[in-house]
Amino acid sequence: MTMISFARSAQARDGSRRQWSRFRYPDSLFRYAALLGAVLFIGYSIEFLGIDLARLLQMFGRIGEVLANRYYPPDVGYVLQPDYLHSVLESIQMAYLGALFGLLLAAPLAWFASYNMTPSRRVLYPMARFVIMGSRSVHEMIWTILFVTILGFGMLPGVLALTMFCIGFAGKLLAEEIEAVDMGPVDAIRASGANAVQTVMYAVWPQVKVAWTGIAIYTWDVAFRAATVVGFFGAGGMGWYLKRNVQQLENERVAAILLSIVALVIVSELVSAWARHRVAKARRPTALQGRTVAD
Amino acid sequence: MGERRTMTGGRAQALQQMVERHRWDLARQLALFAGIVAVCLWSVHVIIIEGTDWARIGSLTGVLRSIGRFLVLDWSLIPQLALPMVETFMMATLGTLLGLCFSLPVAWFGAINVTPSKAVFYPLGRFLMTLSRSIHEIVWALIFVAAVGLGALPGILAIAMRSVGFISKITAEAIENIDHKPVEAIRATGANNFQVMYYGIIPQILPVVLGTIIFEWDINIRRSAIMGLVGAGGLGLTFFRQMHMFNYGGVTMVILAILVLIILGEVISHYARKAVT
Repeated sequence: MTMISFARSAQARDGSRRQWSRFRYPDSLFRYAALLGAVLFIGYSIEFLGIDLARLLQMFGRIGEVLANRYYPPDVGYVLQPDYLHSVLESIQMAYLGALFGLLLAAPLAWFASYNMTPSRRVLYPMARFVIMGSRSVHEMIWTILFVTILGFGMLPGVLALTMFCIGFAGKLLAEEIEAVDMGPVDAIRASGANAVQTVMYAVWPQVKVAWTGIAIYTWDVAFRAATVVGFFGAGGMGWYLKRNVQQLENERVAAILLSIVALVIVSELVSAWARHRVAKARRPTALQGRTVAD
Repeated sequence: MGERRTMTGGRAQALQQMVERHRWDLARQLALFAGIVAVCLWSVHVIIIEGTDWARIGSLTGVLRSIGRFLVLDWSLIPQLALPMVETFMMATLGTLLGLCFSLPVAWFGAINVTPSKAVFYPLGRFLMTLSRSIHEIVWALIFVAAVGLGALPGILAIAMRSVGFISKITAEAIENIDHKPVEAIRATGANNFQVMYYGIIPQILPVVLGTIIFEWDINIRRSAIMGLVGAGGLGLTFFRQMHMFNYGGVTMVILAILVLIILGEVISHYARKAVT
């Protein structure tokens, strides 16, 4: 405050027009220092990672060239074969089961991991948080590789990897939703002598029902996106075909498979958006509506 | 019954309709649940009963033994983990920043109130947002490894492309929701277009954009840790090598290193978000 008033009086004294700037003196210095630090960090990183910037500039030409020469006429016939279409169905089933199992496990975990409703803040809350964070931080591809190593190739490791992924993904969102409930009904139900389970059943569930349905649909959508590529590391589905053709350098088939993945993911996104919209319209507005959930 | 007799015909009919609608809703919900359970049973049948080679998996003790091999930690790997960890961290940061650079034009195209052309650029922007998110980071990495060769660069590009969708979508929404009064006020002082953008629009969307970038950066650490699996650098490459040497204790060490990195990222993003808001 003294700073500003001093500046003002100084301005009033000499009566000259001062250059206006968005940030005042000490603040602007910090901002320039932060900017300088960021630039230095970027420069050092580029040096450290040995990135050839010339290659970055050539990249656009090269990508165009590679796409035109190797990938251009996508082998559409390949993705219309019954074998491949069967693998698409497998991917959908894997995503469905993975999301279902993941949600079934995530729902109680979300209850334990919500600070306001958890049955025990000392034991269950940190444990559930840790499980959700652990399954979130390990990428779904690493889960796939681990399960494939333990159980062998097949769709089961894919389903288990997607389950772990969904626990982390849905658990966090579901818990956030519980933490945002109105505590009035909770206190009322508690005051009537309900135990912890009854409180959740009659005070929390009716409040989060719609939002949870939206999250469940969204989880399925994201699980499908992951299911299209888990096959790349040995779980079943479309990813397996992708891996095989990448290794055999069948680039035109790879192009067709990639296009089919993009098309299917866009379709699943549209279906999920439609379903979420319907669910949200059926009941009161929810937190999920109008907020873009991170993928 | 007495109550019912005194009711007027219209009210009775309305009540009847309500009861019927409720029954119809119940029946529909029941059908939905039956459908979910049926599809679940069918998938379980196909995947777990028919599609799984139970003889290969063997007995429970066999499975436990193979899990046990992961639990014998290989502490000697620690010195080799530091460099890939720094690499992963830098890849995530540079990828997020590059993604931000790509996102700005996409957000500009995809925000309906500032888009240069509603007929051409707006759908293009929206399409690019969806495209970026619907291609998995592994697939992006494959594309860029084919285009620019092995190393950290394809990883950075893949992360950048994967981040564009989310950052530009949130930014576009923020631009669509700005308050127009400050913009008009700045314009009224005689500012040119750039000044209007710099003093009128950017201060309004900056908190949202910065929060999104921090959030995306946090996720990108997780993503950059797997880029090595398909030929980009970082911890993924170490993971891949340990896996191919069948050094399962080393694999667990790499996963622990990823966890350390992610916890570090969470701590940094927590304080960064506090500093922003």
